[in-house]
Amino acid sequence: MTLKDKLTILADGAKYDASCSSSGSSRSNCDGTGNASISGICHSFSSDGRCISLLKILMTNCCIFDCKYCLNRKSNNIKRAIFSPEEICEITMNFYRRNYIEGLFLSSGIIKNPDYTMEKLIETIYLLRKKYNFHGYIHCKAIPGCSSYLLKKLGNLVDRLSANVELPTNKSLKLLAPNKDNKKVTNIMQTVRENKNKYFVPAGQSTQLIIGATTDTDYDIMKNSENLYQKYQLKRVFYSAYIPVNKDKMLPMLKTPPLKREHRLYQADWLLRYYHYKTSDLLTIDNQNLNILIDPKANWALNHLNEFPKEINKASYYELLKIPGIGPTSAKRIIKSRAYYPLELNDLKKMGVVLKRAKYFILCNGKYFMPSKYFQKQFIYTNLVLIDEEPKNNSSRQLSLFYENK
Amino acid sequence: MKTNNYIYLYDGSFSHLLNTIANLIKEQIKPLNIQNEITYQNDLFSTALKITNDTTDKLSYKIKKTNPYIYDLILCSYLSAEENKELIIYYFLLNAYKYGAKIIYMRKLKCVSKILEIAKYVHNEAHKMKGFLRFQELKSHFLFALVAPTNDILGFLSNHFQKRLPKEKWIIYDEKRKKMAIYYQNKIYITNIDIKNIKLLFSKDEKEMEQLWITFFETVAIKERKNYRCQRNFMPKKYWHNIIEMRDKIENNN
Ligand code: SF4
Repeated sequence: MTLKDKLTILADGAKYDASCSSSGSSRSNCDGTGNASISGICHSFSSDGRCISLLKILMTNCCIFDCKYCLNRKSNNIKRAIFSPEEICEITMNFYRRNYIEGLFLSSGIIKNPDYTMEKLIETIYLLRKKYNFHGYIHCKAIPGCSSYLLKKLGNLVDRLSANVELPTNKSLKLLAPNKDNKKVTNIMQTVRENKNKYFVPAGQSTQLIIGATTDTDYDIMKNSENLYQKYQLKRVFYSAYIPVNKDKMLPMLKTPPLKREHRLYQADWLLRYYHYKTSDLLTIDNQNLNILIDPKANWALNHLNEFPKEINKASYYELLKIPGIGPTSAKRIIKSRAYYPLELNDLKKMGVVLKRAKYFILCNGKYFMPSKYFQKQFIYTNLVLIDEEPKNNSSRQLSLFYENK
Repeated sequence: MKTNNYIYLYDGSFSHLLNTIANLIKEQIKPLNIQNEITYQNDLFSTALKITNDTTDKLSYKIKKTNPYIYDLILCSYLSAEENKELIIYYFLLNAYKYGAKIIYMRKLKCVSKILEIAKYVHNEAHKMKGFLRFQELKSHFLFALVAPTNDILGFLSNHFQKRLPKEKWIIYDEKRKKMAIYYQNKIYITNIDIKNIKLLFSKDEKEMEQLWITFFETVAIKERKNYRCQRNFMPKKYWHNIIEMRDKIENNN
């Protein structure tokens, strides 16, 4: 098997992992190759529009487990391959020097047992850091069920260490990934959280949830994420629209992956992390799914229309944040600038406010942008749904969500 | 302020531009325009002149020390491809002298909102190019990259790669400006040179690595999620001819 064949198999097996970010770490170097950039760098974009930042590969696609949704499961009759530590190091170094990548994302199927697999991963990363003197970004997947001393060893070598939850409820996990259990994953998160510092997993941890493979609702998913952010201080939860790679009677046969739903979940997630919303603001037991037609922040505003329109020249920072079309950056700019002069609608555009959304919810010096009789839920809703359907706007928003820290 | 019909020329350097502008402000002159003498084209209706020969960087250093953020805005503007950048800098500095540090919040002034916009654009391009730049390995083990950015960001790129690849020796060549940054033994040298007639010899592994990268690039795309428009939004076509994995795709209008 040539190196190219191996790379094809082992990149194919890793590509469904949605995490791509390379940010949050600022490693520098004095005697080797590479550093990590705090804001992350995208090096290319594949034809699905996703950012390529890391050499995302599996060490091996052999696996003793049989998770229903996974391409690499034991019962699949596919070509198997395994990279040697040297091969991984050589490719990483050669790609990095040519500036193809920001670093390495290494995951693996489970060979023999979790500890054995972890040892192999550690051997590889150790070689890359110590012998090849690589100081670029490394994100490694921890193998659920491994011993904690191995986690500690690996954590000292990588920028990010993570484990995927994959499914939001234990019930779904039992159904689709009978060899996995939630406890094993949260154990990893706990260990990482307890040990995290400047040298141990400096870029923090993340996880991934698959969307649409089970009957779990958005409420189940967001509750789960909220819990993970609070309990383990995760940097990111990635949502990955389920793509049927296996035929299985336990799995839905979707024709197209639920991308729109994934997009709304990213938006809702954004609101939790940067806008001080709680899941209970957005979803309830009676209303368990996000509105597909409109973004969750606008949806929230429409349900609380009595709090609007807000006077741009008076509203507090937190009130500004609740206005659709205004984000943390533009809110800060508004506050700085209005100290010098009262703001009008025209000034807002220069501050990065998305006016076509915001204008329905604001007053500028007491003025509404159109006759106030149009300040009505149904009217605004219809207009916002139409904006969301403009295709250009849509695709760019969707992917900007793959960036961290933006 | 006296408005006159002169065009003031500077030698193309950042320092000379700043010294010229400082002089104009001191003399209370509103110029018709300020232009780079290298690209200036004589016309019959206006007179061009130089008012200072001071090319020292004392002033730029002073601005950098007192307010690094304002310095960055001016520098970015100078490096940009914006047509009237010199005048924008002039008006910005004029107001900065008047209002002080709070100038950056006064987006109502056109020169302020414009210079902020330009600086953002220049930084964005520099950030993107840090990712899109591709080195090829030469026989001499130099890493070699071609870039054609809209703005003059060679300085940003050199600083970035000096930190990132300190043990390598590399060359970044700006095709548009025919300008080259060479990094060798911990030092960056920037020179103007046309490499049209230079033949590049690549190392023996180079082709194989490029193929391996293209294989990876094609493999990671998820076909169920195809979204060419998105790809193009993030990676504008104007850069493709220097991005190894995109080069062959310029023809197919996907
Ligand atoms: S353990 Fe991982 S690689 Fe193995 S089948 Fe499950 S998801 Fe796939």
